[in-house]
Amino acid sequence: MAITRRQLISGIAKAGVPAAVAVTVGTDVLQAGEPIPVPSAAVGLLYDASICIGCKACVAACAEANNTAPDTRGDELHQAPSDLNDLTRNVIKLYKPEDGSAFSFVKRQCMHCLDPACAAGCPFQALHKDPESGVVSWTAQKCIGCRYCTITCPYHIPRFQWMGFNPRVTKCELCSHRLEKGLKPGCTSVCPTGAVIFGPRSVLLMDAKERIKNSPGRYYQNRVYGEIDNGGTQALYLSRVPFEKLGLPELGPESVPARTLRWQRRFYQYFALPALLYAGLVQVIRKSLKGHEQEAHEREKETGLRAQL
Amino acid sequence: MSSAAASVDRSNNRWERNVPVYGFPVVNKFFLGLSALVLVAFVLSGYRELAGLGPVSGMNDAYGWGIWKTFNLMVLTALGSGAFAVGIAAWVFRRKRMHSLMRMALLTSFLAYACGLLLLGIDAGRPWNFYWIVFPWKWNMHSPLAEVAICMSIYAMIPLAVENIPPVLERLWYFDSRLRPGVELIEKRLHYFFPWIIAAAYLLPGMHQSSLGALMLLAGERVHPLWQTPWLPVLYLGAATFMSFGCVAGTTMLCCLVWKRAMDMEVLDEAARITSWLIFGWLGLRLLDILFRGAMGTAFHFDRFAGVFWLEIFLVSIGGFLLRRSLRYHDPRPMFIGYILSSAGGMIYRFSPTTLAFRPNPEALYFPATIEILVSLGFISLGIVGFLVAVKRLAILPAPLHEWHDMASYFRFRRPYIRWTGYFKYGHFGENETEATESDS
Repeated sequence: MAITRRQLISGIAKAGVPAAVAVTVGTDVLQAGEPIPVPSAAVGLLYDASICIGCKACVAACAEANNTAPDTRGDELHQAPSDLNDLTRNVIKLYKPEDGSAFSFVKRQCMHCLDPACAAGCPFQALHKDPESGVVSWTAQKCIGCRYCTITCPYHIPRFQWMGFNPRVTKCELCSHRLEKGLKPGCTSVCPTGAVIFGPRSVLLMDAKERIKNSPGRYYQNRVYGEIDNGGTQALYLSRVPFEKLGLPELGPESVPARTLRWQRRFYQYFALPALLYAGLVQVIRKSLKGHEQEAHEREKETGLRAQL
Repeated sequence: MSSAAASVDRSNNRWERNVPVYGFPVVNKFFLGLSALVLVAFVLSGYRELAGLGPVSGMNDAYGWGIWKTFNLMVLTALGSGAFAVGIAAWVFRRKRMHSLMRMALLTSFLAYACGLLLLGIDAGRPWNFYWIVFPWKWNMHSPLAEVAICMSIYAMIPLAVENIPPVLERLWYFDSRLRPGVELIEKRLHYFFPWIIAAAYLLPGMHQSSLGALMLLAGERVHPLWQTPWLPVLYLGAATFMSFGCVAGTTMLCCLVWKRAMDMEVLDEAARITSWLIFGWLGLRLLDILFRGAMGTAFHFDRFAGVFWLEIFLVSIGGFLLRRSLRYHDPRPMFIGYILSSAGGMIYRFSPTTLAFRPNPEALYFPATIEILVSLGFISLGIVGFLVAVKRLAILPAPLHEWHDMASYFRFRRPYIRWTGYFKYGHFGENETEATESDS
């Protein structure tokens, strides 16, 4: 035979080194500055904080639409959750500065990011972004209850159920069970002032820009939060007060996973680099093992005691 | 006594053989106290499975992770990376003296990982869904947490467990000569696969110890700027290397003190030298990173973050300094203190990004609940209990050659009725084998 086994293996190894390096360096997993693709049928919410009257009809409607018990744990009487929690997917909060300047309500629910950090961190894809509608939803059968989503979400949306042997993760799933039936999400169907509306993301974005154009100076920075923030979100916000005050941090145009996990993603792309490292390690250790065994057996002859490897 | 035993040089302190700790009972007051803690922890974790995480822990919506993950898993597996760091020194960089510490390293690693993973199963809210781990196509390959969970379990269950088999086989070999052919066959098979297993035992911890750092990258601004850096994976891995050297060498020294073993200063000096360079390299990277990111200013604010930061830097650098100093005088005392201080500093570092320096929002507070602390302590005790049993029943601790012969005469002449310790049923020397089998039949 022309090619021995040794030659074959070393040949494959020699070809593997440049291949693995090329995969690691040249991989295009979310290069910097590249816009994140918007799902084909992306739907979303547009919330205009300046016309919200804080009636909390959406909070009640959300609980009803999702068939969750009203959260009356505050005073055992009223459904008045102070924040998102294991029974509350949608909450209205009030920002009221001490100095008496402009106050604002804010509706908090999942932003349905285009590149969601919760799904990027979720080990077994229990949090999953639908490739068509872009809704980020939770699957009970895949969740191990690690609570990493509560750490990673920059908006602090997913909430873990702390009581009971079968805990669930609660977050807004844009009422996807209602969307299937052709209905709108619970919150948007009851809003009396139209502060929160539902529709395709592109239409909502145009609508929001129209509002900014019609009343310049009314909105903070004359911009829509969620157009590019955190790589873009499907829940869009307009506000008179700074977005940070409403719990919407300035995250920049790059999504959190793309910004922080770039090298992590490169190193593990197709497992090329770890495989290369492994092959190298095996070779080195084979050699040291041979030397070590030889020494041990020589020592065995000297001392008359069985070698300990 | 055979001629081999008589010619042994008793003044020689060179660690040449792993010898079980003999002459001390396994069960004593300390052991019983630890076992009680383990029992309490098991009962309480049963209660946690029924009641949920809320009633037993201080975890809340803001601090989703408590000490079970952030201390027992993230900090203690760093201490238990000895099989990784000492192993790489011994097998990849061929520091031959490190081989005498290998069994200690493998045992501490296995126990730290096993106890950490058991507690991870209790900490997980829906542990029954862990079965997805056997379907690789369901993994989220780019998630640092998936990397940690999968890689850690595979590492602890396969390479680490397999590497710990030889001491057990050795005990069986000495226990009964009828087992020897079988044991030798298994050893032969095992040695055939060893290069692949050992290589995996370095690749996998390298991956998951760095991914543990990558976990907090996604938390972004909520981790204080003194800790949040793109270099977090490298720093986590670096901290694991010097902390695990500290754990392995420090534990070995402590065992030598407690059970009155000779210390081999050549081995310990080399370990201390490697550790000190790891510490200074790590400190340099840590400080340069903070400097270049321009976060140094926050270290001079008068708040708890700066306090934790300076405590960590102080402990690690004092530890490194003491290790260097011990090298000059070959003095085990500053060496031991140096290991303890540097590992404590490393532990604070590993604990910070998830807990001490994690600021989800200004009002949020986390302090572990009593049950949480008890369970955490119980699972640490489980590791110590396992360690005590193992060093007294298996040849783990390194010792000079004469220790082996001393053990032999101890069991032959002073405790001839102890048969179940195994090592001396048929004589301990290779050449006695034929004689022993004759007396048996």
